Amino acid sequence: MYPAIIENYDAPKSVDEALQAFAKRGSESCFVAGGQSLMQAIKARVLSPKSLIDLQHVTELKGIEYNKGVVRIGAMTRYRDIAADERLDGAYQALRDAASHVGDRQVRNRGTIGGSLCWNYIAACMPPTCMGIGASLELVSKAGKRSLLAEEFLHGPLETARRDDEIVVAINLPAAPTTCGSAYKKWGLVTDALPVVGICAYIELGDDRRCRVARLAVGGLATGPRRAEAGEKSLIGVSANDGLAISKAAETAATSTETQSDIWADADYRKKLIETLGREVIVTAFARAEQGKRS
Amino acid sequence: MNKEISIIINGEVYQHSVPIRMLLVDFIRDVAGLTGTHVGCTYEGVCGACTVHVEGEAVKSCLMLAVQANGRTITTIEGLAVNGKLHPLQKAFNDHHALQCGFCSAGILMNMAEFVRTNREPSEAEIRNALIGNLCRCTGYAHIVDAVKDVVGGAGSAGAARQ
Repeated sequence: MYPAIIENYDAPKSVDEALQAFAKRGSESCFVAGGQSLMQAIKARVLSPKSLIDLQHVTELKGIEYNKGVVRIGAMTRYRDIAADERLDGAYQALRDAASHVGDRQVRNRGTIGGSLCWNYIAACMPPTCMGIGASLELVSKAGKRSLLAEEFLHGPLETARRDDEIVVAINLPAAPTTCGSAYKKWGLVTDALPVVGICAYIELGDDRRCRVARLAVGGLATGPRRAEAGEKSLIGVSANDGLAISKAAETAATSTETQSDIWADADYRKKLIETLGREVIVTAFARAEQGKRS
Repeated sequence: MNKEISIIINGEVYQHSVPIRMLLVDFIRDVAGLTGTHVGCTYEGVCGACTVHVEGEAVKSCLMLAVQANGRTITTIEGLAVNGKLHPLQKAFNDHHALQCGFCSAGILMNMAEFVRTNREPSEAEIRNALIGNLCRCTGYAHIVDAVKDVVGGAGSAGAARQ
């Protein structure tokens, strides 16, 4: 486990400088965010970039901003900072659920939300979480800016819509009514392990306290993270205290999701995990939305 | 291929030209000669034995390149005791026999030193959760948890229980 020879290292201080560095170094260069996944891949020589462009000093990419309910999370914001930010509670609390259990303390001290989304590892928590809460990603390159929904950005494992010359600069979350709640939960072979399955639920309640908008997103799949739309549909009109309907929705989410068998779990067991974890996150998301309704 | 870097480790400046691909842990061990920081899992980023502080925060030094630490301030296990006085965690590890072979201890101490500084009266569950990034194959963690509890104090601490 040792990197191949790396010819150049750039540590830009701004997005502009980072884009210039890429233009200069060419397509055999690689942006590095927190490096908690990428460095492993580089050491295992899954990747052997000629040049590394390190984004750790680009301060404009760090931090969480709140503006009239709209949330903008800099791509280089670390898990530890997301996990600690109580302002996300309610509609976007799933982010804290996920960020506070990624890897371990040391990894959370360096790992970033943007890095995780760009790597889109099969057993990662940020991709299904961002998909579930309806996040969009802001990308910048010399050609300009564009914005993609998480589900447009995230493809199969290790694949995204990002072009090599693009930097994800922010994760944007729309202003959410107070009657929204979200939750994320994962299951792995040991505590806080890489998830075999991870699932995010987002619930928005109407004035009648019934579910008006529901999103469920599942990670740990060979297809890449996926919405469980059949499960979402069956939640519309359901209220927090309707345990039977919630169980049914979780079951529907499981049966309608394509799962794979691998060394960690077989396909049927993954479905069982989606159903069980799904029920738990839906119940939690409902409870958080109800709390918003009361406050 | 090489880059001139300057890193402050335990208050001393180390200025060297190093290959870009050199890992921070190798800079600490082979260039600075501070071998208290260990490599446990052949640089796979899973064992935590190479944990050091970068600007006071616990990170795994095998998941960073030395060039990424250019201009940074680092503390290793050799810098944990100040003026010959052991850090309370080091004393507690001694008191509670929180190590057997000791290979993982440096990494655990560095991780826990940041943890006890930033968490007031953590529960046992929180302590155990904070230890996830460090593997110990000897102790079963029980004495390590006792030692950390002793330092953070509070009613639930092992020290309080004994008295």
